[in-house]
Amino acid sequence: MKRISRVFIANRGEIAVRIIRACREIGIETVLAVSQADRESLPAKMADRSICIGPPPAAQSYLKIDTLITAALGTGADAIHPGYGFLAEQPRFPEACARHNLIFIGPRAENIHQMGDKLVARQVAAAVGIPMIPGSEQIDTPRDALQAAETIGYPVLLKASAGGGGKGMKIVPGPSEMPRIFNEASAEARSAFGDERLYMEKLIANARHIEVQVMGDAQGNAVHLFERDCSLQRRYQKLVEEAPSTAVTPETREHVCQAALAIARHIHYENAGTVEFILDRDQNRFYFLEMNTRIQVEHPVTEMVTGTDLVREQFRIAAGHPLSFKQGDIRLKGHAIECRINAESPQRGFMPSPGLLTRWEPPSGDGIRIDSHCFPGYFVPPFYDSLLAKIITTGRDRSEAIGRMKGALDRFFVEGLETNIPFHSMIMTRADYLRGNINTRWVENLLAEEQIENENHSIC
Amino acid sequence: MDSISQADVIQILKMVEASHMDELHLEMGDLKLTVKRSAGLSPSSAQTPVKYTETPSATAPAAVEVAKKRETAPVDGPPMTGSREGLTAIRASMLGTFYRSPKPGDPPFVEVGQTVTAEDTVCIIEVMKLFSSIKAGLEGRIAEVCVQDGELVEFDQTLFWVEETDQGKVSGEVKSV
Repeated sequence: MKRISRVFIANRGEIAVRIIRACREIGIETVLAVSQADRESLPAKMADRSICIGPPPAAQSYLKIDTLITAALGTGADAIHPGYGFLAEQPRFPEACARHNLIFIGPRAENIHQMGDKLVARQVAAAVGIPMIPGSEQIDTPRDALQAAETIGYPVLLKASAGGGGKGMKIVPGPSEMPRIFNEASAEARSAFGDERLYMEKLIANARHIEVQVMGDAQGNAVHLFERDCSLQRRYQKLVEEAPSTAVTPETREHVCQAALAIARHIHYENAGTVEFILDRDQNRFYFLEMNTRIQVEHPVTEMVTGTDLVREQFRIAAGHPLSFKQGDIRLKGHAIECRINAESPQRGFMPSPGLLTRWEPPSGDGIRIDSHCFPGYFVPPFYDSLLAKIITTGRDRSEAIGRMKGALDRFFVEGLETNIPFHSMIMTRADYLRGNINTRWVENLLAEEQIENENHSIC
Repeated sequence: MDSISQADVIQILKMVEASHMDELHLEMGDLKLTVKRSAGLSPSSAQTPVKYTETPSATAPAAVEVAKKRETAPVDGPPMTGSREGLTAIRASMLGTFYRSPKPGDPPFVEVGQTVTAEDTVCIIEVMKLFSSIKAGLEGRIAEVCVQDGELVEFDQTLFWVEETDQGKVSGEVKSV
């Protein structure tokens, strides 16, 4: 057993707050890395100590491994929590931690390596017999792409090998668009990940995004904590997540959860991870998509329906303790929904909307959880992502959770900048959403419809 | 927005401070606002990485005249103009371990009272065996050394207070080595 008494948090925003909360409960001291722009942030006030690591741009602060390690060692930390994003899935980070005897609160570098390279991840999934979306190996030229697409059949999806978060991912409807889109996708992949390698998948038109939370410990135990449905996305950015999924039958649930476990076991996965699948609604088949080797933004919905604390569990596992629960202890109870509240303007094409929060009054009440780093008077800096808060509502069933979400959104008062709260409110009243009749393209189709309606309206 | 409040101005200043902009001009109707960052203090301008062959020990007693140590780095960074009681700060251009001398046992780069030019090295900051010389970036007399040898410094932390040379006033002095 290793002892963690002071953790260095190499992240910001709501996840920094979430990690500090968990640490307070288990009696671990916290040192927070802050950029110059985050010196007066809420997590900086909550942490036992904060230390300024560099100027606002992440490349000069939150992404500087050497600086973070120096700061962690210099402040006497014995562990580092990477949160999500930034360096959470860069194997060089846990490797650097290991060289300096710092415990990395996350998976082993080897696991991150394996699953971080999407092509290697596909090989792992294939090795344990999990179906995969028909696709290609690495594609280097537009010419190769044309050939591969002929075999797979249009429409196809070009994806970045080092990808994630929807970057470097593009739909190609037919051969005439291939050369242009191929070059765009590889340029995007290069700028986002420093790796321009692409591969191709068949586009599944009527798809649900289903992902399974897994956790493994150093003793070789692994459990799943059921699925989350993250089908409501805009440009591959998740907007609304829920658990359990309305699109999954008990048999399919058993299948995807066992598939996720098989991958975790195969690679001796340690700590929290998520195995993502695409469920083809027309064929009622699921396919392996990728594995994320970090705690995810939407982890609270799983916590709410399973009664677990995943961040706390991350610390236990990193310290060498066995999982505090067995598979049989984990039961689904009720329904949970999460809405991501972003500083962006739905009216202006979801443009980011940083600025000063002159009013910030989040809702509270039964079955409402708010994970946020915002407060009245907080200046939302323009340097980072636009997530302001996550509203998580729970209910005995889905309709109760939706009802609470509607009420929570109505009572969420934000002034000073634009948010997507009205957009979430609109989703919560849509008949298709209430019936669970949605897919991964639903939000974008809805936006396209709205645009047509608005244009017609302005003509009248 | 057709008028601008004091709070707006403070926000604008914060944004400028946090950005790489050196100057901002804003015109709204009759109102004109110009914000200028003072020259010579750009935190990224004064560093050249050098590689050490010998690793200095963090406890090396190289610091001779350590001025009063500040308890912790200020949470609210002083204004970027950095002027206090007629003094100007030399700030840390990166987080790392602060060293006052080229190697353990050597005399410090600068002492209190010494005059420096913009190109003079005043200390070294180490980030994981990468040693960067920090230049004064301004001309004047060292009034205070704020950090102890071997201490961890934050980004933008004040390392030295300098009495800046008024044009011509101290020009007759010869810099001691």
